[in-house]
Amino acid sequence: MKKVLSLILMLAMLTSVTAALAEGETINVGCLQDISGPTSSLGNMATAGVQWAVDEINAAGGVNGKMINLIVYDTKADVTEAINAYTRAVTSDNVSAIVGPPIANIALAIAPESENNDVQILGFAIDSKCQIKPDGTPYKNMFDFQPSAAQQATIMAKYALKNGFSKFGVIYNEGNAYSVSLQAPFIDTVTANGGEVAKVVTYTSNDKDFKTLLQPIVSADVDAVFVPNYTQELILIAQQIRALGYEGSLICGLDACPPFNTLFGEDCDGIYFINNIDGTEANVQAMLAAVKEKTGIDATNKFFLGYDVANILKGIFETVGTNPVGVRNAAEQVTNYAGLTGNITIDPATHMPKGLEMVMFTYQGTTPVMLERYSAE
Amino acid sequence: MQILQYVINGIALGSVYALISTGFSLIFNVLKFSNFSHGALMTFSAFTGYFVAAANGWGLVPTILAAAATGSLVALAGEFVAFRRILIRNTSPIYFFVSSITLGTLFEGIVVLQVGANFYNYPRFFGKPLKLAGLVISQSDIIIFCISAFVLVVLALVIQKTRLGRALRSVSFDRDTASLMGIDVTRSIQFAFIISGALAGLAGVFLGINYTLYPTLGSLVVKGFIASVIGGLGSLPGAVIGAMLLGIVETTLISTIGSGYAPVFTFLIMLVFLLVRPRGIAGSNIQEKA
Repeated sequence: MKKVLSLILMLAMLTSVTAALAEGETINVGCLQDISGPTSSLGNMATAGVQWAVDEINAAGGVNGKMINLIVYDTKADVTEAINAYTRAVTSDNVSAIVGPPIANIALAIAPESENNDVQILGFAIDSKCQIKPDGTPYKNMFDFQPSAAQQATIMAKYALKNGFSKFGVIYNEGNAYSVSLQAPFIDTVTANGGEVAKVVTYTSNDKDFKTLLQPIVSADVDAVFVPNYTQELILIAQQIRALGYEGSLICGLDACPPFNTLFGEDCDGIYFINNIDGTEANVQAMLAAVKEKTGIDATNKFFLGYDVANILKGIFETVGTNPVGVRNAAEQVTNYAGLTGNITIDPATHMPKGLEMVMFTYQGTTPVMLERYSAE
Repeated sequence: MQILQYVINGIALGSVYALISTGFSLIFNVLKFSNFSHGALMTFSAFTGYFVAAANGWGLVPTILAAAATGSLVALAGEFVAFRRILIRNTSPIYFFVSSITLGTLFEGIVVLQVGANFYNYPRFFGKPLKLAGLVISQSDIIIFCISAFVLVVLALVIQKTRLGRALRSVSFDRDTASLMGIDVTRSIQFAFIISGALAGLAGVFLGINYTLYPTLGSLVVKGFIASVIGGLGSLPGAVIGAMLLGIVETTLISTIGSGYAPVFTFLIMLVFLLVRPRGIAGSNIQEKA
């Protein structure tokens, strides 16, 4: 019996030592994304960007001699799946940081849960409720690396007003944090600057037939319709509003970025959208060409967000190591990081970037055309 | 004018629901169980139609035919795998119900394995909408309505006027007596599954055109089920009437009380029908509902 116990003890010790050695040679980084589900086009692209950066980092010798081991978790755009994956990442896989998630509903669910741990979550959820608690202080581990919903909605409203649109309709998903977070600042900005919001309609995630909901907006003869929704809903709304004979413009959020134009299945003229990247910049063009050559895919904004965050994380690990508190302090101090999505400076009070630029685009046919650059103040 | 527009939108919506509810009712009529694999079959067939159309650059009609053919074949195979032995052993209808859910899960699982959990968008088959006296009617709604109406009329003729249709009606009335009268019951049931599968394929393509294609598209079968209950489970004319009513009620509710509350009232209406008139508008009083 003693022999058996001794053997088990030895095996346990051996396993621990091996695991410790393995941990010592690599840094586990989680990538919590929507790999499947209705927002998978976003999650897959973000993951590809993170993976690209990790490959570059490891090929260059890693971080202080340690390789980054990227562990990808699929949230399936489902809150329960996401929380389970998050728990697995911080308890079983001992990740040093997590990149993601790409959407607000998932980030909102994880934010309170993350307070029980010290692993930093560097994501892209633009609803400020994902980073800031009801008492106004930031969740200690939640960060966002693109302009907030209020900033993006303000940019879209200002662009629309500046370019001759004055009467708007709004259709948004009342059960989706991203959609809700964008509509209010858009309406506020429009009304504060002399514009009119003639009709606001809401829908739920179960809705597929929007014609009846869109009818009053079309009848109100608006110049443009603000459609802050995920890609699949956006496609349905765009198709159905065109089927109702509406020929005005649609002002959309990030979800109308490519690959919307390929998924839509027809010309996208009259659709305006906001984007994190400017395809006319040399460094962005170089990355687009490299990704296309190596993988055959056309990288979109989420790829660049993932790429930038992974490189920011590399810089943090190089400076402070993988101690969670150190990582948090360093993430709060990110200043003027020159990324492909712009110069990123994190506001420690909000855990969101300040002054990061965004770009308004439209489509000619199915080709994205850059219109104007805005600073997200 | 606005009300008329809602009615038009409702009829357009109802015409797709009618295809679902008819296919659903057909199987209920014959085997006296609610075939919940019908939704997943719609998805399976619609995806097949999508990939065939995308690969060959096909238009609407060949796409529909491909999806309908797929629906028929898969439904036939499903009948053999999931229902035949239960039928032969003459066991409780509850086993049909359980088997149909299992079969539906299998179909949906195959779709997810093949295409992932992402969504797809059919190519645009239709042009600009028609505008008549302040009313706007999309081409897709007109064509979908016309095709649905044509298919349902042909189905009614087949069931009423042909030997196969008469045999099917006999089997749906009393399988044992039909068998004693020399009718090949198995062949009639297979015929019902072929028709039901074709309708599933057709409905799947129309749903995909209207709402994009995704692996859980088949969940819209619930609408077909509600339409069947309202119209009268097992009644084909009732299924069509129920579907049209459901479409109009849905669009009216959405326009009056909003999208959030509309489903609540839709289900309330179904419950009221079950309470007040369990046999629905046109159905016979069937006791063995599963």
